[in-house]
Amino acid sequence: MSVAYEPITGRYLTIEVAGRPVRIYIEEAGQGQPVICFHTAGADNRQWRHIMNDAELTANHRFIAPDLPWHGKSLPPEGFQEEEYLLTTEVYVETVLKLVEALELENPIYAGCSMGGRIALQLALHTPEPFKGFIAIEASDFQPAWYDIDWFHRPDAHGGEMGAALVSANIAPQGPAADRWATQWMFMQSGPGVFRGDLNFYTRDDSLVGKLGGIDTAKTPVHIMVGTYDMTCTPEDARRTAEQIPGATLAVMEEIGHFPMSENPATFRPHFVEALAKMG
Amino acid sequence: MTTTLAARFTEMGQMLAAKPHLLRLGALFSETVLIEVDGNEYYLTFHRGQLERVTEGPSRQTPWRFALRVDGEALAKFWEPVPEPCFHDIFGFVKTGRGRIDGDILALVKNLRFFKEFMALGRSQEVSA
Repeated sequence: MSVAYEPITGRYLTIEVAGRPVRIYIEEAGQGQPVICFHTAGADNRQWRHIMNDAELTANHRFIAPDLPWHGKSLPPEGFQEEEYLLTTEVYVETVLKLVEALELENPIYAGCSMGGRIALQLALHTPEPFKGFIAIEASDFQPAWYDIDWFHRPDAHGGEMGAALVSANIAPQGPAADRWATQWMFMQSGPGVFRGDLNFYTRDDSLVGKLGGIDTAKTPVHIMVGTYDMTCTPEDARRTAEQIPGATLAVMEEIGHFPMSENPATFRPHFVEALAKMG
Repeated sequence: MTTTLAARFTEMGQMLAAKPHLLRLGALFSETVLIEVDGNEYYLTFHRGQLERVTEGPSRQTPWRFALRVDGEALAKFWEPVPEPCFHDIFGFVKTGRGRIDGDILALVKNLRFFKEFMALGRSQEVSA
């Protein structure tokens, strides 16, 4: 009798980011064109598990999904106990580039959601060279907070549960209940202060505003995807962003919110297949 | 209209009493919430997660912890079995300018899942939550 293991495997590696070693957990499935996949704020690489378990997609794509430091099974750097975690664009970008180098990925497609989508645009503008193209999911040039990010790290309340309850505003009601709740569970499990620290750069760094015209989509395609139920990065936000990037394409996804890969995998799948095809 | 809404909130309280997971989530929630619909006031008093009473306003003497103010059409859309975008969540009222949340917002956020799921009980065919 054989064990019905999923095809996803998990490994650890240590890279240096911001001058310090960080131990990163990555999950991987498939073979062929590398696609490095990044999760949203306050969550982890489990958001990508449905794509990574898709036999048709993994037949010719090698999906690699890291947990960013502080997230999922990637520990914070040594000494974290006396630090305030505040992610920056620079540290996120360095983490991505170091991972691509350490994993010896050749011409990978970058796919990222929410803050991962924002970083797709940063990479496309400033350091597109290692990449084949960019899939920027629920991505925009800038989103100021419509909430107080300090709510999510308090000694008198559970930041993860509050974060999950807040982000449920960005989940479409049409997704299967199991997938909608699995999406929220990742936020509930998020380490103390991590969601807040992620939102630090996401809600404050407006450095892309007015600069997106510098992206050369003839060399590296940019495909932006947005769900109609996303109240954080709305279809209007994504459209405004796409219109600033000559040659960028946009897909508006019905019955989907801010977490397409995990909240409604079946509805997301054909949109993601289309996105991969646009990467050339 | 006002009587109908008060009755609906009361009915939602009865549904809440039959939801053990919500009573557990709301075990520390003992507050009065003002829900204002088209200018009509409804004071919902919760005690340890149970809806104890619904009192119709207007009142300037009833203390409340936080308030959700919304127009009746937007609330009706929120209570559709499958609401359209921006009407699927109470924060959508704020995003679209159809409503306002004020008072002790942190008290709301600390009990956000409880309060959102309570409000969703008004859906004519409750979405499995």
